[in-house]
Amino acid sequence: MIEAFRVGVVSRGRTLWEGITLAVGDGEIWVGTGPSSCGKTTLMQILRGEREPDFGDVVVAGESLYRGSPGHNLRFRASSGVVPESFPGSAGKTVEEMFVLSALAAGGVGVAERKGRMEELLSMVGLSGAQAEAVSSLSASERARAALAVELFRGPRYLFLDMLLANAGKEWEERLGALLRALGREERTIVMMERHLPEKWVGMTISAPLNAEPFTFHRLGGGTSAERKAEGDPMPPGGRLPMEGGAD
Amino acid sequence: MGRETAGRFLLAFLVASYFLAMLLSGGVDRFLSEQYTMTAILRVGVPDEEGTGIEGKVVALSPVREAKYRNPEEAWKEFLLTYPGLESLRGMGKNPLPGYVEIRLRPKSVSEEGIDEVRSALEPLPQVEKVLSGGAAMPRLLRMKRWANVLLWIGFALMCAVFLVILSMQEKSRAARLFPEVSFLADRGVPEGRIAAKRTAGAFVTGGVLILLATACSGGALYFLSLRFRLLRVGVGPAQELLDARFALPVVLFLLSATVVQGLLSLAGWRSAFSKGR
Repeated sequence: MIEAFRVGVVSRGRTLWEGITLAVGDGEIWVGTGPSSCGKTTLMQILRGEREPDFGDVVVAGESLYRGSPGHNLRFRASSGVVPESFPGSAGKTVEEMFVLSALAAGGVGVAERKGRMEELLSMVGLSGAQAEAVSSLSASERARAALAVELFRGPRYLFLDMLLANAGKEWEERLGALLRALGREERTIVMMERHLPEKWVGMTISAPLNAEPFTFHRLGGGTSAERKAEGDPMPPGGRLPMEGGAD
Repeated sequence: MGRETAGRFLLAFLVASYFLAMLLSGGVDRFLSEQYTMTAILRVGVPDEEGTGIEGKVVALSPVREAKYRNPEEAWKEFLLTYPGLESLRGMGKNPLPGYVEIRLRPKSVSEEGIDEVRSALEPLPQVEKVLSGGAAMPRLLRMKRWANVLLWIGFALMCAVFLVILSMQEKSRAARLFPEVSFLADRGVPEGRIAAKRTAGAFVTGGVLILLATACSGGALYFLSLRFRLLRVGVGPAQELLDARFALPVVLFLLSATVVQGLLSLAGWRSAFSKGR
């Protein structure tokens, strides 16, 4: 569980925002929305343990990410994946090389296994056969989806997605929504930041939006096992993703 | 990357060649030892057996590389070759020249101490008339030799400094280029220390292999060039001498220090790029 307690940030001598309190349970999917330049990326960095807040604290599994042991922060980051607003620059790198890097971060994966899983994940995000493409030659939508696939390769327990939907484009809202819900069913915790909640997603929310100026947090349903039972979801825990092998 | 490695190899090759040439030649020591000879002039009437005996004694002295006894007849022939037309000096068939021993010192022993050691071994012998060793000009020549050696080693130090500067620039730019990948790993919980340690270990291995190859190539180049060019043979010496055990320690130290320096520069370049990136 990720808990943010009265988190705040000072930027250029003035308080950008403060008093943000949020609790993200295991397997839950939360989407934070807010206007342009309001500090969505900063909040995501704070929740991920990358940037210490000027006020408040973030606690994961009962231990502070910033006041606890450095090892706790490191372990949390190792168990989480992040899709940044812009895909990590690595000029001249191919998609496959990004998977190699991801495998390295995961502590090493055999070549055959890596290739197999890479093809599966790329096909899931509509990028079959794109492994040899240079990242710089991909469109913004393709880059966002490739970045998601690269992160999913490591099987992170927590997933932080910054402007994924905005970058992936409208035509991917539905498919990515289904994919993320499927990930939630596998007990992965997902925190997203977007400018707006897509219309198609409004129906997926399961509680009233949580207002914390300048952000609004929406919780999507279908993630936790209790919700699955309530929805009569037949997918067993730990089952394979429904989109695997045929997203396009 | 390939061009960078080729440039680094070329630099390492030049530094290693300079180092091996200095090691073999001792600066100008080898050249001087080829040019410089001491001469022990024997008294007239010393029999050949005694002259040969003196030659043997001289060779046994530690500063001496080579000694050659010339009997009076050989000395007379050499004289006539140098000064043709003076046959008339040999009046009534009697050879006016004595025998002598020509002595060449080891490169390291062309020094006041080396010369004194040979002189003091020869001068007390009753068969020796006098020992010629350069006289008053020698101290100045030896002083010049020392300065020339110091200058040559300063040249080597400068070359090493250039090598280090270029290497550190290369390492910094390499680290800056790798920074996005490294921060990708660091963002995903891979400890910075582990990344730095892996990178440094890699630099040790590749740096070690590179300097080893460069040194082997420069040894080979010295060997083939010295076969072809006499000047190199005289000034630097035969490259096969590099296989002598006495050169093993300095060569190993050179390889080790070059490897360690490359590893440390890689670590320093990485640290500087990473701290800037943060």
